[in-house]
Amino acid sequence: MGDQLLKVESLSKGQILDHVSFEMKDGEMLAVMGPSGSGKSTLLYQVAGMDQPSAGKVWVKDTEIAGLPEDEKAKIRLRHMGFVFQQMNMMANLNILDNIMLPAVQANKGRGRKTKAELERAARKLMQKLSISGLEERRVTQVSGGQLQRACICRSMMNSPGILERDERREEKWHLLFADEPTGALNKKAAGEVMEELVKLNREGTAILMVTHDSKVASNCDRILYLLDGRICGELVLGKLVPGTEKGREERVNKWLAGMGW
Amino acid sequence: MIKKLVWNDVKQNKLLAGATVFFMGVSAMLFALTALLFFHLMGAIDDLMDRAKVPDYMQMHTEGGILQGQDGAAMERNATMRSELRSFVSTHGEVDKWQICGFLNLDNSQIVLGGRCLADSTQDNGCSVQGEHFDYLLDTENEMPEVLPGEVYVPVCYRAMYDLAIGDTMEIGSQKFVIAGFIRDAQMNSMMASSKRFLVNEMDYEKIKRSGNAREEYLIEFLLHEGADISAFGTAYAAEGLPANGPAVTRLLVRMMNALSDGTMIAVFFLVSVITLLVSLLCIRFILSLQMERDRKEVGMLKALGIGKEEIRRIYFAKYFLFSVCGGLSGLLAAFVLKSPLAGQMKELYGVSEGRWQTAALSLAAVFFTEGVILLSVLRSLKRMDGLTVLEALLLSEERQNSRGRYGIIGLVAASCTFLIFISQSLYSTMADPGFATYMGIGDGEIRMDVRQTEDIPVTTERIAFALAEDAEVEKYAVLCTRSCAAVLPDGQMVNFTVETGNHNIFPVNCLEGRLPENKKEIALSAMNAEELGLSVGDTLRLATEGRDIEYCVCGIYSDITNGGKTAKTCFADDRAPAVWSVVYVSLKKPGKKEEWMERYARMGADVIDIADYVEETYGQTLRQLHLASRAATVLAMLVIAVVVMLFMRLIVERNRYTISLHKALGFTSKDIKRIYFAKGLLPAAAGAAAGLLAGNLLGEGLCGMILKSFGAEGFHFVISWELLVGIPAAVLGASVPALLAGIAEIGRIKAYECCNRRE
Repeated sequence: MGDQLLKVESLSKGQILDHVSFEMKDGEMLAVMGPSGSGKSTLLYQVAGMDQPSAGKVWVKDTEIAGLPEDEKAKIRLRHMGFVFQQMNMMANLNILDNIMLPAVQANKGRGRKTKAELERAARKLMQKLSISGLEERRVTQVSGGQLQRACICRSMMNSPGILERDERREEKWHLLFADEPTGALNKKAAGEVMEELVKLNREGTAILMVTHDSKVASNCDRILYLLDGRICGELVLGKLVPGTEKGREERVNKWLAGMGW
Repeated sequence: MIKKLVWNDVKQNKLLAGATVFFMGVSAMLFALTALLFFHLMGAIDDLMDRAKVPDYMQMHTEGGILQGQDGAAMERNATMRSELRSFVSTHGEVDKWQICGFLNLDNSQIVLGGRCLADSTQDNGCSVQGEHFDYLLDTENEMPEVLPGEVYVPVCYRAMYDLAIGDTMEIGSQKFVIAGFIRDAQMNSMMASSKRFLVNEMDYEKIKRSGNAREEYLIEFLLHEGADISAFGTAYAAEGLPANGPAVTRLLVRMMNALSDGTMIAVFFLVSVITLLVSLLCIRFILSLQMERDRKEVGMLKALGIGKEEIRRIYFAKYFLFSVCGGLSGLLAAFVLKSPLAGQMKELYGVSEGRWQTAALSLAAVFFTEGVILLSVLRSLKRMDGLTVLEALLLSEERQNSRGRYGIIGLVAASCTFLIFISQSLYSTMADPGFATYMGIGDGEIRMDVRQTEDIPVTTERIAFALAEDAEVEKYAVLCTRSCAAVLPDGQMVNFTVETGNHNIFPVNCLEGRLPENKKEIALSAMNAEELGLSVGDTLRLATEGRDIEYCVCGIYSDITNGGKTAKTCFADDRAPAVWSVVYVSLKKPGKKEEWMERYARMGADVIDIADYVEETYGQTLRQLHLASRAATVLAMLVIAVVVMLFMRLIVERNRYTISLHKALGFTSKDIKRIYFAKGLLPAAAGAAAGLLAGNLLGEGLCGMILKSFGAEGFHFVISWELLVGIPAAVLGASVPALLAGIAEIGRIKAYECCNRRE
């Protein structure tokens, strides 16, 4: 595991979050669990700089982002963060390929580091990797939920160093993927496939901060934080997933959750 | 990427895109058309006036009796007049050039134009030769024509009226002329100018003068140096007691008269443009807010991905920019296509204005202005997205604008369109009403007799008055004699005045203020005279006749466009002041044998005309254009209502798709649901129509008053007929109902199971 990637210090948001503090290392896969209304999604959006916390600080690498203006936060999101939402938000007026390329085209604007053809090649490669080749020209309404979620993962990875690495300075080579209930709207098979892809990405070095209430999904992570009434009440360290140990990890997570009052 | 987004969005929402382009296009078209027509008219008038070298100040003058060329006394008077004028000019350095143009005022019954006798013409038709130094009569190429003996150039306004062509003949008494072309007379082009000049060769002019069919009048014309005070010059002229027993006309008045005949139509277009732009802004803003409501989640997602607010705005703005380019271009094209038929009369009367690129630039500027206003409003709406946080956009349930707002739009648009139809139709019906003539200074009679071209005006007038008193067919009559005298203003200045004397209360004109004179001490002034002299009701004015001053109190002010708009009315009858002409107003008991009756009196030496014909001839063309404009406004307004009602009902149904589907699942029939939506849509349309009528009644009169004031008619009231009050709401609802039905047709296609598959 690498250097410190994220540091959250005494973060509060109205009545929802109450002095939350935690850290995350580069390349780590961290899950936040907790009952409905505990503040999981709110925590994720504060950390990603999408909302303004009422108090506290959030460092991403060496930058404290809670105090940054909106546009600066937007720039960081565009260049270093990826998002996978439960509702699989995509632009209805673009096809799958264009949706995937959207953040990369925007990030590349004015910098001209990659041509459009290069970006398109990278997007197609990602699609192939996530086994959704052939859906490039389809509209978002013409694919299944699982396929769409994998397309969202492709989109979230388009600005990762692996794709936009040329000319990047070393210190800028980091990527953090936020996932809010990524399998929440999927059936069991599709959920399994999506999780497999996320684990694969993590193994390749992408740090992932995920919100879930599915213990099976959470058991794929290195570490789990338990949030209750806006406070972190527990932490379970699982370490990197070793193939073949999935069942035992899930049981361990379930037992831990039972102990937390889940 | 933006291109694809915009293109796909347009493909997905053809109805919204079409409606937006329609509104942008119609607004652009109307503004471009207004600009095109306005500048075309102004440019062409100025161009013609410059080429024709219209005098800055022109005084009409007529001597009593028919002048014969050989008449020694007349020649002597002519020489005296010239020497008086010469000495006046020598003391007035502001005069650049001056000249006396002869005008042979013909007896209309002696003129046959293209086989048709002009006996019933209400114009003073006469012959002229080309001005010596200025005041040129130009041909249709705006060049000075060379008139050969036996040829005549006819005023261009008669070409269509009498269906004339080059080569046709014109007869004046026993003399025949060949029409060699048509002339534009910068001074008297407009049908509102009461005289028309026919251009003949000098030899023919002398022949006609000697024939006894004409009376020579003089146009004493002055071209002043630039920057000279024309009104001060006019006062100085009158103060010198120089020949002046006819109306005086300034360059400005000529320009105004020229502009007014076509200006009313342009004013209506301008009004329609402004209201359409407002309706368009309303609709586009609404369409945009609908779309933003729909795209909330997408905007949130784009923000979450880190795309800046400017970029998001650019994506949305790009689409409206594209729409405005399409709308602007199609509007511009439509304006150019529509311009030709609408500018037909202007082209005939004033020619094509020079500087086509200026016209093109101005119409482009009008389109830029319209689209600019719309795009600015779009930008303002888009800025509202900035305040939306990612979290709100992504997590919170969709903020629903209540449907009442949407129905409100239908009501607002119906009200605006009703207002538009109401005022354009009312303006037309008011001007077309026979009573409107009283706002123009024409008495409220049925028949008007002008005694002008007789040897002794008072004798002929008296003969006619005597006959009228004995005539059993006459219901009532009034004899009004116009005399020329000098007025002494409170500050001692002298001005020349034409005063109409007699009983004005038998066939009254409409007073803006006060009333018409009832005793010998009172005088009423035309609005133009009152304004120029700085007099109002209650002020005093002295009239000098034959060295005797009589003081009058101004008892009323009326609007008048006859005789250059500068007239006065009193009851006094001072025989010593020279009579310029007499007018007799008559109304008959039975209208049956009007023509025969009129012919009988015409034989007594008067020009007898039916007032309805007079009004028709004076501003019939303007009225026809106004009719065209008001019809166009009505059609446009109905089209806008239909589009808005259909569009918004379609949108409301689309927004409520889930609820409608749920209703169907619960057992409602399509017919039940349609009935509810029909009533919901019809109610605001009907309420809007009522509100529009009310606003039209309250505000429309003032608005049209401004248009008509520039026209010379002041203080008017709408003539509102029951037909309008019933017809306009019927038209509005007639446009709304089919549109409503089309808008809610989608309800029939919504399936009951849809609510089960879709999350609300």
